[in-house]
Amino acid sequence: MTAVRVRDLVVSSGERRLAGPVTFELPAGTTLGLRGPSGAGKSTILRSLVGLLPHPLSASGEITVLGVNVLGVNVGGVNVGGVNVGASRVDLPALRARAALVGQTPVVFPASIRANAVFGVRHVHRASRAALRDRARAALSEAGLWDEVADRLDSPADQLSIGQRQRLCLARALALEPSLLLLDEPTSALDAVATAAVEAAVAGLRGRRTVLVVSHDQAQLDRMCDHVVSIGIDGPG
Amino acid sequence: MAAIVAFLIVGVRSGPLRWTELLSSSTWDPTRGQFGASAMIFGTAAVAVMAVAIAAPLGWAAAIAIADLAPSRWRRTLRAGSEMLAVVPSIVYGLIGIAFVRPFVARFADVPGGDSLVAAALVLAVMVLPTVIAVSTDALAGVPNTIREAASACGLTRTEVIRSAVLPLARRGMGASLLLGLARALGETIAVFLVVGRADGRFPASPGDLLTRLVRPGQTLTTKLNGPESVLAGTSGAHWAALCALGLLLLGSVGALTLVGQRRSRPRVGSPDKAADGRSLARDRSLRWPGIGRVRRDRLTRAVLVGALGITLLLVAAIVMVVVVRGAAALHPSFWWSTSVGGSGGGIRNQVAGTAVLVVVAGVLAAPVGLGLGLVMSEYGGPALARWLRSATLILGGVPSILLGLWGYWLFNIQLGWGRSWLTGSILLALVALPPVAITVASAVAALPAERREAAHACGLRRDQMVRSVLVPQALPGLLTGTLLGLARAAGETAPLLFTAAVFSGAPALPSGIRDAPVSALSTHIFTLAQDSADPAAARTAWGAALALVVVAAVLVVAAVTARRRMERNLR
Repeated sequence: MTAVRVRDLVVSSGERRLAGPVTFELPAGTTLGLRGPSGAGKSTILRSLVGLLPHPLSASGEITVLGVNVLGVNVGGVNVGGVNVGASRVDLPALRARAALVGQTPVVFPASIRANAVFGVRHVHRASRAALRDRARAALSEAGLWDEVADRLDSPADQLSIGQRQRLCLARALALEPSLLLLDEPTSALDAVATAAVEAAVAGLRGRRTVLVVSHDQAQLDRMCDHVVSIGIDGPG
Repeated sequence: MAAIVAFLIVGVRSGPLRWTELLSSSTWDPTRGQFGASAMIFGTAAVAVMAVAIAAPLGWAAAIAIADLAPSRWRRTLRAGSEMLAVVPSIVYGLIGIAFVRPFVARFADVPGGDSLVAAALVLAVMVLPTVIAVSTDALAGVPNTIREAASACGLTRTEVIRSAVLPLARRGMGASLLLGLARALGETIAVFLVVGRADGRFPASPGDLLTRLVRPGQTLTTKLNGPESVLAGTSGAHWAALCALGLLLLGSVGALTLVGQRRSRPRVGSPDKAADGRSLARDRSLRWPGIGRVRRDRLTRAVLVGALGITLLLVAAIVMVVVVRGAAALHPSFWWSTSVGGSGGGIRNQVAGTAVLVVVAGVLAAPVGLGLGLVMSEYGGPALARWLRSATLILGGVPSILLGLWGYWLFNIQLGWGRSWLTGSILLALVALPPVAITVASAVAALPAERREAAHACGLRRDQMVRSVLVPQALPGLLTGTLLGLARAAGETAPLLFTAAVFSGAPALPSGIRDAPVSALSTHIFTLAQDSADPAAARTAWGAALALVVVAAVLVVAAVTARRRMERNLR
């Protein structure tokens, strides 16, 4: 099973090439690291996988994520996962719910910790209130945050420290039970202690989830990933 | 600002006044010394609330469509399009009300003539719409894009992102748009005056009676003050005191709404919003519509939001078209260059000249005062003074222009003995234009990078030298655009001129002297003609003058925008 297949992906802004060309594959159930110096367009590539490129940017090449041809062009390749999108328009929200992205800086919504944890899942899946509570607990535990917040789930999420917030964002993604987790420099905005906590949480997912991590830190990727792919500014290295 | 409050208080104290009677009785009979205003207070509240109840949902939806659904390169254009509604002077809305809303209400609600509170509310709703849209769009644009992205990354549809992530953060500012819209609706005079019927009426006796009252002619505080009574009441005694008390009520409510609205429309930093509790989760789930798929619900909601924007833009197009088609008289050059003849014939040469005099002198007065006020706000005053001045300026911007008119009438016409004078008109119009001037100057100075100020100090400049060579050049684009925008608004003002500066006929094209030197103005000309709308010649001239007035306002706005673009480019 291949969760992500990227072939000759180039992201550009008008005439200017911002990232790529890059080619890689991520087999389901493994953790893959994308490494490259800052400015190589790692985050841009990650974003293009779920159609979250900022406005003037466009991607070309071939991207298949969980069997969905993200760029919407029918290339006739083997789509994995049984979803046949072909040339029809891609249902990006549905894809993003299955391939959840966690951003570089933690963004929490002005709501309680629990509401943040189930922020996405309460829209995407129909579930009772009790089921959502269970889901929040499971996700927070998996993100390694449960023990720290169990007694104040209803207090505002912006009272958390920045490292806790990042793990809350991770929990928000995990609560969706995604088939694929995309992590964009998950520790670059954090201090050493918070980084260790997030790293431990991500390492805990290894072997159970399919994860794609982007980072500039080779040592960190070695600790967290099964494979590492390097991206240079001028193409795959 | 203080002068207006003082004037009203002096007025109230100039005669015996029974506040309880004023607030509870609905009998207003100056000949018998009875001054009960409850019916007018009801009329004011009913008209404003109905107008906002129509404008707020429509404006909010249109603002969401502009800020969150439209492609980003169209946003500026769409916003500017909706703001065209604010460029149209209220006297023109009054004409539109007479020509279209009154007949509509007459047929729909079986009211002879159509003059009613409902008609006033419908006209006001359109006038309030640009305020709601502008403030709400700002609030939505203030929500950081990272929030939208984080919500999208969880697999939410576009409208789910808006509802769950964007609106909780923009709620405060969008609520402020409601308050500011309400303030605008409460203070509007001229457009309401022409369609509300101006019958004092009575306070509704029962809930059923309330509905009947809405489709009957009524009176609001502003229309009462704009009526002939203000001039007939003298400037002291019970009648004048009662009128001043109405003015004080009006000023108090509009001022409070403006102040709270302006406070809330600015984003609060750092403190958690009210939405930051566990209940938001429960509330949200109860909103879920059963039985419709997420994708279809997303499409449906989007269609509704874009539809609201469509309605707004259709309104703009319809108003522009109506003014151009009906105002066809103004398309002939002779209409601009010939003087008016008799009650309704001829052209508008003197009115154009009079308006030009009023507006140009107002600009000459408002620009330096506004520059000074803006500099005091942003540079010379301490934080407390700056905040106080800012609030006062914002409230001045919201003061119903009829109150400016009454104040000018009392101070210049009567106390100083100028009679009707163009200079009074210019001073009052300068006050209308002043707030935007001062605020844009202050924000331009505040936007100055601290390093540039430091660099000037490091060169050994004293404060006044620094202000002259660094701050004033920085503030000039703001000064110019603020003045032009303020004048665009002032040019269409009617209420401040009616008692103070303008006459319908008998004024020369250009006034000489100050004392008893009135002019003719476009806005007051339309106002007088509009009340004679049964005469087709009067209607033709009124619409022609309306087109001329819209052209004047539009030219000023376009000049402001062009000047800002050009000067911003030069500053870079």
